[in-house]
Amino acid sequence: MASLLQPNRVVYLVRGEKNIIAPLSQLYFCRYCSELRSLECVSHEVDSHYCPSCLENMPSAEAKLKKNRCANCFDCPCCMHTLSTRATNIPAPVPDDPTKTTMKKAYYLACGFCRWTSRDVGMADKSVASGGWQEPENPHAQRIGKLIEYYQQLAHREKQERDRKKLTRRRQCMPLAFSEKYGLGTRLQRQRPGAPLSNLAGLSLKEGEDQKEISIEPAQALDEVEPLPEDFYTRPVSLPEVTTLRQRLLQPDFQPAGASQLHPRHKHLLMKRSLRCRKCEHNLSKPEFNPTSIKFKIQLVAVSYIPEVRIMSIPNLRYMKESQVLLTLTNPVENITHVSLAACEEDDPDDINRTAQVILVPNTQLVLAGKDAAAEYDELAEPQDFQDDPDVVAFRKSNKIGFFIKVIPQKEEDTDVTVAFKMRHDFRNLAAPVRPSDEGGDAAAEAIWLTHHVELRLGPLAP
Amino acid sequence: MADKLNTQKSVKIAAGAVVCVESEIRGDVTIGPRTVVHPKARIIAEAGPIVIGEGNLIEEQALIINSYPENIMPDSEMEPKTMTIGINNVFEVGCVSQALKIGDNNVIESKADVGRNVILTSGCIIGAFCQVNTCEVIPENTVIYGSGCMRRVQTERPQPQTLQLDFLMKILPNYHHLKKTVKAGQTS
Repeated sequence: MASLLQPNRVVYLVRGEKNIIAPLSQLYFCRYCSELRSLECVSHEVDSHYCPSCLENMPSAEAKLKKNRCANCFDCPCCMHTLSTRATNIPAPVPDDPTKTTMKKAYYLACGFCRWTSRDVGMADKSVASGGWQEPENPHAQRIGKLIEYYQQLAHREKQERDRKKLTRRRQCMPLAFSEKYGLGTRLQRQRPGAPLSNLAGLSLKEGEDQKEISIEPAQALDEVEPLPEDFYTRPVSLPEVTTLRQRLLQPDFQPAGASQLHPRHKHLLMKRSLRCRKCEHNLSKPEFNPTSIKFKIQLVAVSYIPEVRIMSIPNLRYMKESQVLLTLTNPVENITHVSLAACEEDDPDDINRTAQVILVPNTQLVLAGKDAAAEYDELAEPQDFQDDPDVVAFRKSNKIGFFIKVIPQKEEDTDVTVAFKMRHDFRNLAAPVRPSDEGGDAAAEAIWLTHHVELRLGPLAP
Repeated sequence: MADKLNTQKSVKIAAGAVVCVESEIRGDVTIGPRTVVHPKARIIAEAGPIVIGEGNLIEEQALIINSYPENIMPDSEMEPKTMTIGINNVFEVGCVSQALKIGDNNVIESKADVGRNVILTSGCIIGAFCQVNTCEVIPENTVIYGSGCMRRVQTERPQPQTLQLDFLMKILPNYHHLKKTVKAGQTS
C-alpha cells in the first residue's frame, strides 16, 4: 500500500517556457506571480561553499583559489569515499641515543569502505595528523597557468572594447559598472548566451590597468606518436592493477592507468544554492548560511501553498468498466479552502497522457478546513459542520478530506492507467502588501482562483 | 547406517573458547580455542561436520551452515564434506557463510553472503552486503566491495582482532552463560 504514496503517482503540470510535469514535493510556488515553478524555470545561484565531510564553510574567493576543494579532507581514489586518518605506533630511534627506540605515532590514510590505504601507492606515513599530505603536482601546470593568463588578458581587452563601443553608441551616462565584474548575474547579461569569454573577463582583478603583453607559443604538433609496447597484445591483463575509467577520469591531470599510481585528491566542496523566480526576481528558496543547518531563510515550496492530492485506494480496474478510486486532498494553509474539480476537455493541449476517462460530479465544491496545529490539544473545540455529499466525500479529518472519483479505463493495453483532471482552488495571497482600503474595514487578503492540471498514475489493469 | 547415526553429532568446544548459551550450534561442530561465538550466532552442520580454528570471532546473527546443495535431495549418496575454517577470521553481524574452505585472517562483513563453491584463501575481505556465489578460489588479500562487488587487491592482510577478542573473552562471561567446554571424544 505504500506504493500508492510514491511521489511520481500524482504529478502536477507546470506551465513555463516548456511544460514540466513533476510531483508537488519537487515544485516551488512563487506567491508574487501566483504560479508553480519547477527547478528548470528558476535560476540557480550559488550561496556558499562547504565541505561535505568536515562541514567547514569556505568563502567563495578562497574556494576559487583552492579549486573548490577542501584543505583537510581527502577522497579515496578507489571508491571515492572519504578517507580517515589512522595512527600506528612505530618504533623510531630516539635522537639522543641511537640504540634505544621509542614508539612514535605515524599516520596514514585509510578508506573504510574498500580498505585502500595510502601505503598502497607508496606514500610514506606522516608524523602529523593533518596537513602533511600533498597532492602530486600536475606536470603541465606551468603551461596551463601561462595560457590562462594570456586568455584573461585577451578577455579583459575585449571587454574594454565592448564597453567603449556601447558607451559611444548610446549617448547616455551609463554607470561604470555596466559590464558586471562577475558576469551572468543580472538579467541583461543572462540573456546573452554567445557572450565571448565573459566568464574569464571577470576573473581579472586589475581593471583599467595596462598589463604587460603576454605572448604564448603555439602548441607543437608531433608527427610521430609513441608506439605501443611489443607485448601489448600478448601480455595477460591483471585486472586488479588496472584502473577503472571512473577512477581514471576523476583525476584528469594524470589519468593513471595503473592502480599503483592512484593518489588521493582533496575532497570536492559542495555548495548551497538559492533559487530565484525568473519572471519576478523574487527568491523562492534561500538556505541558511551555516553548513550544519538544514533550515531555510526563505522557503516557498509548493507543498505549503497548494492542496495536495494523494491516492488512497484503488480497486481492480477493468477495461471499460467504471470503478471508484478514493483520493485524499490535504489543505496546507490555515484558512478554509474551496476546491472544485473539473474534467479535462476533449482538446486540452495539456492532456496527452490520459488513458482513462474521469467522471466527476459537476459543480461539486469541496470545502477543506484550515490546518490547525493546536487542534489536537484543544478538547473543547466544536467540530465544524460541513454539509458533505456522501457520494463524493468519504471522510473528513481535520484538514484532510477523502473523496471518490469514477474512472473508466479506455485502453486495453498493458500500460498504466493514467487519469487527469483540473483542480481549481482559492488562494489567499498573504505576501502581497495590504493596500489600505478606503473603507478601512476588511483587511482580509483577496482570494484568487488558481487552476492546476493534475495527473494520476493508477497502475495497471487488473488481469 | 546405525554407525553413521552414532558418529559424533556433538559439539566439541575447546578450552579457552567463549561460546554463549544463546547461540545455536547443531550437528558435528568443533570449535578451537580463543574463538568467541556471540549469542544468536548459528552454526549448523547438516551435510557434514564443521571445524572452526582458533581466534575466530563469530558475531550475532551470523550463520555458518554446511547444508546440502539446493537441488540435491538429502539421503542420497552424498559424502559428508567437512567445512574447515582457519584462524583469526571475523564473521560480522548477520553474514551467511556456506563456503567449504575458509583460510586465515579473512573478514566477512555484515550481511554478506558467501556461497558454497567459493574458497576463501587468506586475507580476503568480503564487503558488507556483497553476495559472492561464484565458483572460484578468491586469491589472497582480495577485497570485494561495493554494490557491484568490485574487487581490488590490498597490499597487507587485515590485522587479527586480538584486542577485540581479549576484551570479549573478559566481558562476555559477565553477562552470558557459556556452553561448557567439551573435549573431543566425549559426548556432551
